[in-house]
Amino acid sequence: MRFFTVLGIVFYAVMIMVIGLALIVFAFDLFLPADINNLLIFAQSSQNSRVVIGLSGALLILISFSFAQIILGKFQRERTIAFTTSSGQVTISLSAVEDLIRRLAAIIPEVKELRPNVVANKKGIIVEMRVVLRSEANIPELTGRLQDITKSKIQEVLGVDEQIIIRIHVAKIAHDEKDNRRKKDSEKDEPAIPFGGYGRVV
Amino acid sequence: MNRDESRNELGILKIHRNVISSISSIAASEIEGVKRVGRDLKSGLMALLGKSFSSAIKVDISKNEEVKVEIPIVIKYGYNIPETANRVQENVRLALEKMSNLSIKEINVNVQGIERG
Repeated sequence: MRFFTVLGIVFYAVMIMVIGLALIVFAFDLFLPADINNLLIFAQSSQNSRVVIGLSGALLILISFSFAQIILGKFQRERTIAFTTSSGQVTISLSAVEDLIRRLAAIIPEVKELRPNVVANKKGIIVEMRVVLRSEANIPELTGRLQDITKSKIQEVLGVDEQIIIRIHVAKIAHDEKDNRRKKDSEKDEPAIPFGGYGRVV
Repeated sequence: MNRDESRNELGILKIHRNVISSISSIAASEIEGVKRVGRDLKSGLMALLGKSFSSAIKVDISKNEEVKVEIPIVIKYGYNIPETANRVQENVRLALEKMSNLSIKEINVNVQGIERG
């Protein structure tokens, strides 16, 4: 598999270099449009050359398609946590773990937004979180709590013993709209008229 | 091989892999904590085209008539994933053995996502 990956990278690098060189040659006027025209007429003139060109095109499409599949398949395989049970294998997509962490934002009211990125490697499970907090939050206390909750939730739900590293990046401290609205509402409340209730018969 | 075949005195009985896929899908959905059976690119496209019978469950029948099933599932939030996946494997195995008398080699579960129940 590694050999094919290297072959694919070399193939694409060579193709891009050839296109780059062709563009440079064209820019320096070393290759005239008439030459390109002659080349195309020559390529189309004989049956054999057309067959060769057609087959090369089909081969290029096949190569691109198979490399895309290999690369995508590889990425998909890397983005899972797997364990085996008596009935077979269980693979957990890391995006499922990300969904799980995203739900934690609902538990902690101080967290306004949470964007997790989970990576599983030899070190263990690495969770990187980008959070937007509400203005009143005490950041060290809150991030510590968030790390503890995330860690225990992953351990509880996944049942894994691997090391879990949680990195938090506080991206923004947002102004709480609810509080603002409350403040505005209280400002809007009309002040009490002095002796407003005077003379009212109860 | 597309179907599992067995012969009796009256003739041949063939079970199509779609049948195995449907049994597995129903058995997996029965488990508490399973939101739904997941999708792949092909079944997603088929669903877009309005053909909902296409399942993302992969069924592989080997030459010695052993069945290997791969089930993508989406689990409800709050449920223990290994436990739920294990129960899915057991229920699918029981349902397949009960309904088709097939020999089950492997039932692989792929947890694709988590959704609110």
